[in-house]
Amino acid sequence: MPETFQDKVAIIQFPGVNCEYETARAVRMVGLEAELFRWNEDPHMLDHCSAVILPGGFSYQDRIRAGVVAAKDKIMGKVSELAREGRPVLGICNGAQVLVESGLIPGIHWERVDLALAPNIMADREGYYCTWIYLRCEESGCVWTRAFRTGEVVPMPIAHAEGRFAITDRDVLGEMEKQGQIALRYCTPAGEIDERFPVNPNGSVSNIAGVCNAEGNVLAMMPHPERATWLRQVPEDLGGPWGGKRTSSSGDRNGLEAEGPGMMFFSSLAAKEVDE
Amino acid sequence: MVTGTIPIVARDDGEIKKTLSENGFNLTVTEARRVAELLGRDPTVVEITIFNTMWSEHCSYKSSRKTLGEMLPTKAPNVVLGPGEDAGIIRFAEAEDGDWYCLVIAHESHNHPSQLLPYEGAATGIGGIVRDVYCMGADVVGVLDPLRFGDPAGQKGRQSIAIARGVVEGIAGYGNPLGVPNLGGDIVFDAGYDENCLVNVVAVGIVKESRILRSRVPDDAAHKPYKIILVGKPTDDSGFGGAAFASEDLASEEEANRGAVQVPDPFLKRVLAEANKRVFELAERQGSAIGFKDLGAGGISCATSEMAHAGGFGVTIHLDRVNLAVGQYPPAVVSCSETQERYALAVPLEMVDDVLQIYNEDFDLPHIYHGAGAVVIGDVLEEPVYRIESGDRVVCEAPIDVITTGISYDRARKPRRGRFEEPELDASRSLHDDFLSVISSPNIASKNYVFKRYDSEVQGRAVLRPGEADAGVIAPLEGRDVGLAFSVDGNPFYGIIDPYQGGALAVCEAARNVAAVGAVPSTITDCLNYGNPEIEEVFWEFSEGVRGIGDACRGIGLISHEGNPLPVVSGNVSFYNQGESGKAIPPSPIIACVGVAEDFSRCRSIQWKDEGDAVYYIGEPLDELGGSEYYRVIYGTLGANVPEADFIREKNQIKTVIEMHSNGWVRACHDTSQGGLLTALAEMAIGGRGSGRLGLKVDLEEFAGTGLEPEKILFSETGGFIVELPAGIERDVLALCARNRVKLYKLGTLTGRSKLEVLLKGERLAHWPIDELRDVFMDGCRGIFGLEKKN
Repeated sequence: MPETFQDKVAIIQFPGVNCEYETARAVRMVGLEAELFRWNEDPHMLDHCSAVILPGGFSYQDRIRAGVVAAKDKIMGKVSELAREGRPVLGICNGAQVLVESGLIPGIHWERVDLALAPNIMADREGYYCTWIYLRCEESGCVWTRAFRTGEVVPMPIAHAEGRFAITDRDVLGEMEKQGQIALRYCTPAGEIDERFPVNPNGSVSNIAGVCNAEGNVLAMMPHPERATWLRQVPEDLGGPWGGKRTSSSGDRNGLEAEGPGMMFFSSLAAKEVDE
Repeated sequence: MVTGTIPIVARDDGEIKKTLSENGFNLTVTEARRVAELLGRDPTVVEITIFNTMWSEHCSYKSSRKTLGEMLPTKAPNVVLGPGEDAGIIRFAEAEDGDWYCLVIAHESHNHPSQLLPYEGAATGIGGIVRDVYCMGADVVGVLDPLRFGDPAGQKGRQSIAIARGVVEGIAGYGNPLGVPNLGGDIVFDAGYDENCLVNVVAVGIVKESRILRSRVPDDAAHKPYKIILVGKPTDDSGFGGAAFASEDLASEEEANRGAVQVPDPFLKRVLAEANKRVFELAERQGSAIGFKDLGAGGISCATSEMAHAGGFGVTIHLDRVNLAVGQYPPAVVSCSETQERYALAVPLEMVDDVLQIYNEDFDLPHIYHGAGAVVIGDVLEEPVYRIESGDRVVCEAPIDVITTGISYDRARKPRRGRFEEPELDASRSLHDDFLSVISSPNIASKNYVFKRYDSEVQGRAVLRPGEADAGVIAPLEGRDVGLAFSVDGNPFYGIIDPYQGGALAVCEAARNVAAVGAVPSTITDCLNYGNPEIEEVFWEFSEGVRGIGDACRGIGLISHEGNPLPVVSGNVSFYNQGESGKAIPPSPIIACVGVAEDFSRCRSIQWKDEGDAVYYIGEPLDELGGSEYYRVIYGTLGANVPEADFIREKNQIKTVIEMHSNGWVRACHDTSQGGLLTALAEMAIGGRGSGRLGLKVDLEEFAGTGLEPEKILFSETGGFIVELPAGIERDVLALCARNRVKLYKLGTLTGRSKLEVLLKGERLAHWPIDELRDVFMDGCRGIFGLEKKN
């Protein structure tokens, strides 16, 4: 039934991903339809989908390296084709690792792997790290961040062991900057770029938290917007404007159902759909 | 006819003993004779292996069953399923369609495996406990992990730290890939755990009452053919004898026992969870009854015999059909190994092909994991017989009620007489410095180095995360107000002095912790960790602990259904927790409590919120510093005056705090327990994320009536609560407390001056800038779980 995904956002369920359900909930929250696509179903079912999301998790058990096995999966051929046609594609956390490993991000050289998501480097600990950080939305043509103002600062949770954007070719980094591909950077609550831990929670080069392709339709991001879609998901003690909003809405059940900072990634997609 | 028997019937005791020990069986001679008597002949190797597992302490509860049955309340109006199956179940919210949303909870220990192989032991602990919840048909929505490790600064400090780090890695290494959030836990370090750490694990899940699956062959098998399907990881010899191993002392044969630790695989578990859901949906669509059970202790033999027995049927298992890992294994290994990530299903014949298709083709198990898959391994029989065939040989055959026969012992008990004395307080000591020592001690200091290793956000339901409040809180149902709160507790130091109080206070504190976020304590589970029950003093400690738990459950009661006890719906007993020296661990009953909050938006973190708010203390400090952190850290002694559980006081306080939440008054709430009043105040000032800024000035003159020295007021571990309430409602607050007959002290008003000050009659005893407290508190466990700071 190739029409199954007609005008729907397809959420790719590789074996081992684990954020597919909350990602679908977040997409539905902005009024779009979302459906899970099991990795080994017929790729043609995605021909008419409206967008593709690669959710977080541990696809194929992070065998060899996070994201690398899924990047070689048959379905990624279809995702690459859709991306080239301009269909919006979002990779969150493990999904970002898949996009990097498949060469779709940064996509400067055709399907060449120019970036890596390497093990975190942190000042006083190692390994997996789950916390809330601040993101600054940078000047870019990314369709997934259209709902943000340039320079807008938002809190967001991260949870990964291998999230450090690393690059060996400085020219590629220069190119990414020139083409406005660095869509998201880790920053202080005031929006300053401080390269030290914990502001930069994993040692990413240039504080990079999210990279889009030059065309702006594909975004790979390590933070989890689907875990910050509703105000109730923001920690009470976070501080700053979002923490304050959360705390002042405590006891107000409806107030807590208001949108959280992560919602804007999904409403960016909804806005794009309206535009077209 | 069965073949390959072990000679018992015609042998004398000495010969039997030799045979048993040579073959690595833990059965006693008397138990082996009982096996032969039940069967009416010599047992086969497979049969005696099954009994060796089923009659282990871990599976049979042979020493504890009687005590548990006599002392613990298990029935209440909210209980759907009490102890006895893999998990307990309570109702917590009525569904729109008249069905009920239920909470499923299971609680186990994985102590011995974790001591030997910390990563694998802890990881398979999580793996096993989530399977117990999945197999009821539930979605697993969280795990919690109470941990006890050796003294990091003691004789075996390096080993204790390595074990602690390995265990935390293992929990992270399983829970994170599985996509189940960590909702909380606690850690206690003490030399009493140097040779035997405790890794307890709790898993919780959600299921609608009508969708609960049972671990039994359905009644429909009486009139249509049913098959047994085995699904998951290929069977190997890992974990062979695991349950029996868990029921031995941790003696020197460590190397030999490593093979008894199972091998974890969260990836396969995650894919299986998705595939299982499709199978359950299919069964529901077709209106077919199925049975579903996880494979744990005793592997294929225990799971399939229990499923058949529970349904009143028999079963034949064909070992040749079992998908094996590389290698050849004898029938006893295939029947009883504890290979992880496997389930058994009883499904009607007409559904078999569709089920195999879901596992083997849709989710492609054989290709995503070498050797994994679903296969039909058995037939359900009307005749109640349990039979295992290997090739053309019958390696086990007996009436099924013989195979599942229980065993029980009456253990003797004798009070342990310890000498405990109160220390002489030294008035010349610096309160300022002593308090910094207390809050930087690893038992009190922030566990952020641990919590941040765990994914506490996945599934998107988190409301209050580990460390932020006394209980972890989730919003389990989309669009609904209901919240669920979880806490695990058990202070071993109280139990050393008085094992009854150890049990009772663990329940009180767990209940208090869920009440602190405004949730009604609705059920508990207990994991009872003790030494060798054959030692009379140890069994006395155990039975005293259970008596304390039972009394506390009846004393606090089920506040939502007045007149009923707080029910115990699940639990676990772990005996033989002792090392080479033969010294048992401190009595360690650990309680998990589930609270139901009518509106999760009123569940608040411990951190102080607003300048000008009033801070009250609900309770009264008594001269109860026995087992306190203050005595241990400052005076190096346990003391003697352990807190005495006063259930009426606890219940009244809990009701008061819940009412304050319902009234919408509470801005922050924290219980006073480990570390006492001053520690609780500091923790509220700092906050779980270390972002607190507000200060407070407390004058101890308020407490003049208690006649206690300042140190005792500040560090007594008598239970109580501290609440932050808005100013201007004092009259209502006093009236509520009077009505509920609880004592209330006003401690002061929150100020923007970022400082905690303690005064006596206007004179300053000590003061600490919040930043100073924050630094030592947040950093206290870095030496154990973190790295040297660089930057």
